[in-house]
Order: sequence, then C-alpha cells, then structure tokens
Amino acid sequence: MNNHDASPLLLVEHVSKSFGGVQALRDGSFDLNRGEVLAIVGGNGAGKSTLIKVVAGAHVPDGGRIVIKGREVLRSEHSVSHMQARGIEVVYQDLALVPNMTAPYNLFLGRIPKKWGIFVDERAMREKTRDVLAKLNVTTVQDLSQPISSMSGGQQQSIAIGRAIAWGSDIVILDEPTAALGPNETAEVERLVEDVRDQHGTSFILISHNLDQVRRLADRILVTHHGVTSREFKRDEITSDRLVKAITLGE
Amino acid sequence: MTDTSAALPLLTPKRAELLRDYVPFIAIALVILLFWAISGDRFMSMRNWTFIAQQTPVLMLLAFAQLMIVTTGSIDISIGSSLAFSSFLGALGMLWFGDAGLIVGIFAGGLVGMTNGLIISLLKIPSFVTTLAVLIIVRAVVIIVSDGTAIYITDDSVSGGTNISSVAAPWLLSMGKFPAIFILAAIVALFMWAFYEKTVFGQQLRAVGGNEKVLRLVGINVTTFKIKVFAAAGLMVGLAACVNLARAGAATPQAGLMIELDAIAAVALGGTPLTGGYGSVVKTIIGALTLTIVRNGLTIAGVPPSWSQVALGVLLIAAIAISLNRSKVDVVK
Repeated sequence: MNNHDASPLLLVEHVSKSFGGVQALRDGSFDLNRGEVLAIVGGNGAGKSTLIKVVAGAHVPDGGRIVIKGREVLRSEHSVSHMQARGIEVVYQDLALVPNMTAPYNLFLGRIPKKWGIFVDERAMREKTRDVLAKLNVTTVQDLSQPISSMSGGQQQSIAIGRAIAWGSDIVILDEPTAALGPNETAEVERLVEDVRDQHGTSFILISHNLDQVRRLADRILVTHHGVTSREFKRDEITSDRLVKAITLGE
Repeated sequence: MTDTSAALPLLTPKRAELLRDYVPFIAIALVILLFWAISGDRFMSMRNWTFIAQQTPVLMLLAFAQLMIVTTGSIDISIGSSLAFSSFLGALGMLWFGDAGLIVGIFAGGLVGMTNGLIISLLKIPSFVTTLAVLIIVRAVVIIVSDGTAIYITDDSVSGGTNISSVAAPWLLSMGKFPAIFILAAIVALFMWAFYEKTVFGQQLRAVGGNEKVLRLVGINVTTFKIKVFAAAGLMVGLAACVNLARAGAATPQAGLMIELDAIAAVALGGTPLTGGYGSVVKTIIGALTLTIVRNGLTIAGVPPSWSQVALGVLLIAAIAISLNRSKVDVVK
C-alpha cells in the first residue's frame, strides 16, 4: 500500500443483517488500517458476532457496503472463499481445527498439496509447517506426526492463527481467541498476535470479552450496542470504567 | 506380553498406549496359538490355511468398504443386501453381455452406495436409519428380480433344465480358488492401503470423522464428499460381490445375509473406533483374518455353530474393551 492514507485496508459502511425478522445488525461501520489491531466489544446479542461473520463472508448483508483495498465486494460474490481470496481469514473460537489430524494437515486444511493428482504431498506440508512455525517463533510444537488433540490449548491456537496468516492474509479475525485458555497460554497467544503484526504488518480484528486483553492488544476499540457500532475509542483515551459504560449503556 | 504379567510399574501410560496399538496383532497371535494348542495339525495344516486364505477375501473387501464409511463417523449396514444385489447383477451381466458383463456387478454396488449417500446427505437422515431401510429394500428387490432362484456359474455350458439359469465361466470359478483369490485380495489390499493412507481423499475421510463443521467452514463441500465416500465404498462392495460370486459359484438371493455385522466386527477388531476419525487398513485386514480364523478354529474344535457365534461376540467385546483408551472417551452413546 503506497497510498495508505488515501484508503483503508478494509472499509465497512452501514452494514445490516436480519434473521427472520430479528435485526441482529442495524448499522455496522468501521475501518481498518494495515498493521492495526481493532477490537470489537459489546454485550451478548450486540451484533459483534454477526458483524464479523458478514466481514468473513459467512453471511451476506442485507444492506451497506464492504470495500477491501479500494474495491467494493459485490453482493453476488459475497462468500467465505471470496473473502479468503481477498485476504480475510477467521480464527473461530472452538471450531477452528480438526482434533484428530496433525498440525500440518490443520495448517493446510482445504489446501492440501497434491502429488500425482491424488496423493498428499506430505513433505511439502511438513516443510511449510516448519517454516510457518519458525516465522511465528513457535518452538513448542516439535512432533508433527501427532494429532493436535495431544497438544496444549495454546499450541492449538498457534496452529489456528498460523493457518490464518500462512496463506498471505492481510486481515485476520480472531473470535475470542483465548476464551478457553489459561493465563500462560493466553500470554503466548497475545505475544504471537503482536509478533505477527509487527513483523508481517498483518491487521487483526479481535473479538473479546476480556477487557484487559482488549486494552493490552488493540490500537482502537469499537463498541457495538443494540446492533449498532456506536462508539470508537483510541487505546490511550479509554479507561475500563468508560469502556464498561459504553458496552452496557451504549454511551 | 510379559509386561502385563510382570510388576505393575512396568505398564506406564506410555507403554499402555503402545500396547493398545498392538492389540489386533496380539489378539490374532493368541487366537492362532490357542487353536493350534487345541486342534494341533488339523488347524495348523496347509490345507486349512489354504481354506482360510479363500474364506477371508470377501469379508476383507467388505471390511474395507465399512472402514471408509466408519472413518467418517457414519455406518453402512446395507452391505449384505448390496452384496446379494451386486452379485446377482454381475451374474445377469454375464448372461447378457458375456464375461465382461461381470463389471455390471461392481457398478451395481456403486449405485446402492451412491443411493445411500444421496439419501443421507440430501435428506439428512442418519446413516444407520438410511442403510437399514436400504438393507430391507435391496434384499426384497433381489428376491423379486431373481424370483427366488439362483444363477449358477459352471465349468462348461449346461444343456439341462430350462428353468435353471447358468453361465459357463470356468475362469471365474478358478478366480474363486487359492491362489488366484488370494493374489487378487492382496492386490486390492495394496491399492486400498495407498488410497486410505496416502491420498487426499483418504485423509479427508479422517478429517470428516474428526470435525465436519471445520471442513465446512474452510469451504470443503462435505455433502458431495460423503456421497462420494458411500459410492466408493459401494464399488468396493460390488467388487466383493464379484469375488463372492467366484467363490460361491452362484448368485443366490440369500447371499451375504448378516455379513454386514461381520464387516463391522472386523473393522472394530482392527481397533477402529466406530465414532470415526481414525482407522488402519493393515489392522482391518488383521481384524477380518482374526474373525475368519476364530470361526474356522471353533468349527475344527467341534464347537457347535451357535456357541461359536457366542464366542465371536465375546471376542469382539474383549478386543474393544482392551484397545479402547477410556480416558479419551467422554461420552458413550
């Protein structure tokens, strides 16, 4: 991006979405710049989950527009695979990995390299996996032949984030990335996010209920309330008190 | 094996895990030693092992079909009926088109499998219920179409009765005997191993059994994949039906009755959890072989058939109870 001031990496304007008469999202608007961590916070049912699913391509919005790198996403092309092709990946909280498969398989999920048309190119997978783990500075994953269910939660989440960035995504959406992890593993994942942002210029959208984490990681914090992205704060200008008020009262 | 009888500390969790991995191999070794001890040379003879080598292939191929499906977390109990249907159509194909018509039998199996897959994926009916219904329907269709009579494979053309359908195919009959049947089974096993362990399709079987939702999220079309799985397993059943036709020398409406249970038992004896996600071709072969040996050994030892069924059931429970890692099982359904 040579003209990074001109247009943001991602622009979301007045996006709305209803499910059978229930308006889950009334007006979702935000922008995201390269190398930025944007946190989205809000109570249950505030619309943050719907908002990121629209951005991820899983839901087609009823109205509004999404512009990625200056090009608008057309309604007809709005899909998960299209958003992936445009550089947006999601790390879902608990649905991100196949537990009985190895780390390389999970990293390559949906993109398994083939040999002679039908066979798995295992060597290519192992090499690329080592590359990605080295890039992420993840040293704890050694045995690549074990199913990931035998790994710690932090290691598993590293693989999931690794998958999101391994394929050159510019934007990674993290949906409650540490909700199921202990304090040490949470710190491990937070370090990973910061490393990736600093080294590769990747942008993150972070959904989290952990307000301390949000204040540690995010450059900007977006508050959703009753289906509207109502307030936005810079990291420096926010206290926990104000954040809680914004989330619960929308002010 | 000395581990278990020696002092307990020798059986660390790591070793228990390793031991569990080898249960199918230990089981088959024990079974062979047991029957050798009971029946001596009557069991451990070239003649008897030739017989076992002829008996195992059909069950092994059916177990392969079941393995593909079980790995994805589904089950197919219609394969016995599908076997009868396929071998009948294979025989009919030979009546109509000559020797090459046997291939109709393989495709008939594929058709039944694909039908299962379509009903399960598109109507979203669980595989157990779907294949139960197909089991009933297909068996009835075989009886209707065959009018209750068999088609025989003969050494030379029979001039005899007008009601008797027969096909002269000495080559097929010799395919059903040792060593041809054994060589054919070995070749199919080799292909199955490469297919299941090394291909993208084979890995995807495990992944679907592990977490189907994730695969959908990353954009893999699990619905069409499952239809393909059932169709591929069906083709394997069709192949088993042709081997069975060669082995039995006739396509009868009763062929393969209850054999789906043997196929499931062989897969389970091979250490494959019926909940999906894991499996092994080599261990499935061992499972099919174990089942055949036990049945054969009990017969030689003079155990009445009903009691030998009881023994097989007990063996199945024992093998799974030992090989199952209970600490990894949170819900038993």
